[in-house]
Amino acid sequence: MSAAVPSTLYPRLQRARTAVTMGWNQIGTQTQFYGKTLASMWDALRYYRVELVRLIAQMSLGTGALALVGGTVVIVGFLTLSAGGLIAVQGYHSLSNIGVEALTGFVAAYLNVRLIAPLIAGIGLAATIGAGATAQLGAMRINEEIDALEVIGIRTVAYLASTRVIAGVILVIPLYSLAVVMSFVAARVGTTAVYGQSPGVYDHYFNTFLNPVDLIWSCLTAVAMAVVIMLVHTYYGFTASGGPAGVGEAVGRAVRTSLISAVFVTLAITLSLYGQSPNLNLSG
Amino acid sequence: MRRIGSWVRVSVRAGLREERLVNRDFAKPVVGVGQFFAMSADAMLLMFRRPFAWRELLKQAWFVARVAILPTLLLSIPFTVMTVFITNILLVEIGAADVSGSGAALGAVTQIGPMVTVLVIAGAGATAMCADLGARTIREELDALRVMGINPVQALVVPRVLAATLVALLLSPLVTCVGLTGGFAFSVFLQHVTPGAFVGGLTLLVGLPEVVISLVKAALFGFAASLIACYKGTSVGGGPAGVGNAVNETVVFSFVALFVINLIVTAVGVKATT
Repeated sequence: MSAAVPSTLYPRLQRARTAVTMGWNQIGTQTQFYGKTLASMWDALRYYRVELVRLIAQMSLGTGALALVGGTVVIVGFLTLSAGGLIAVQGYHSLSNIGVEALTGFVAAYLNVRLIAPLIAGIGLAATIGAGATAQLGAMRINEEIDALEVIGIRTVAYLASTRVIAGVILVIPLYSLAVVMSFVAARVGTTAVYGQSPGVYDHYFNTFLNPVDLIWSCLTAVAMAVVIMLVHTYYGFTASGGPAGVGEAVGRAVRTSLISAVFVTLAITLSLYGQSPNLNLSG
Repeated sequence: MRRIGSWVRVSVRAGLREERLVNRDFAKPVVGVGQFFAMSADAMLLMFRRPFAWRELLKQAWFVARVAILPTLLLSIPFTVMTVFITNILLVEIGAADVSGSGAALGAVTQIGPMVTVLVIAGAGATAMCADLGARTIREELDALRVMGINPVQALVVPRVLAATLVALLLSPLVTCVGLTGGFAFSVFLQHVTPGAFVGGLTLLVGLPEVVISLVKAALFGFAASLIACYKGTSVGGGPAGVGNAVNETVVFSFVALFVINLIVTAVGVKATT
């Protein structure tokens, strides 16, 4: 019954060519999806406000087993708490090696704001909300719910993807604030209560070198990361295929891609912010 | 007879409902934690019992390495460059740019190496593992194994846990080396630090104990993350949404577990080396 298919000329070359073209096309489709999602934000804000509010509520608490441990808020708080504790442990130890452990407060104010808080908030966002969105959208795609939405005339990209991006951006601001406060508290408690540095010394160096402008920039970094992370995660969820296994694979691939792109975004913003002028006045 | 039958049925149904209520409200997380530890204990016991799944171990090690290698390279370079950049600003300001090598080494060996290994192992390795196992569970392949008298923990979980531990152990030095190279290039070519001073400063704050601690950390990360992934993967239920949620929970729980392990091992290591 089956017709004989002639083998292709130069099969390896052909396969390599197909792989390159597929990769190239995929980049194009992804960019197109991102553009469409960003352009549909206005539609989402105008027509799907109820869905937006519902998503914000759902994302902040998480679903399933994640809601039982307190949701996204608790998880991000916990991650930054342990990262701040790490600053206390490692920073105090290394600084006391060269006899300047009094500067731990400075290190906490400097590294927490510029490096740790935005990174950890972004990572927490990718792991909890982002991966959750991919899982949800992927399951909807596999169950053909997205096709059903399209059939009844709902703008799926606006309704599913744009609302999630907006919700992520709205949510990252309180999450980021929580992350900063948690990392500060953990570093201070670790240094003063556990390692026994006097709180006055710590507070003096901490307050002297805490730069409010840096805080605003680092918050904007977190927002930029949130946009990138949510875009990547909604794309992979939206285009999931291949049954239950495909959803799991899509979540894994989305986490990998979004972590890499989030770190690159932070790197680009850090370099452009502090590359020209370090914005650090040590000698007054 | 009939009356007794219906009474039994009603009471059984009521009992089930009550049990379900209890499950939903309180017992579910506790049961989950208990099952996780039971599976971990099983895996650790069965690790030393024959037959050992050599073929699966090799396959899984290759699988985890293949999934993890690209994210490792792509994450460790920006991470170290960022840290080196931020510390160099500080060091240049206090006129000590020559010791930027020790800052880079401290960052890369003690924190960035383990941190990037965490992200890669939890974000890339564990998710792929959980998705794979979850798909098998959904297709009832695990039940088929049980029917054939093969213990899925021994045949699937043990090789995966060992493979992830091995690959994490091997990834951590790679992360450190790539990170140090990136930091060197960035400091020397872009921030004009003397190359000799950079290399000479590498061993100022970091020695053998720190390297050993970072390797121990990496091995523990791989072990914990793969156990979580295997537990979540083998206890999947409820179709596509279930698999997606399981992978999501794997990422979250392994991040939390690994950050805690990182903090504890760092504190213990700092105490042990002073």
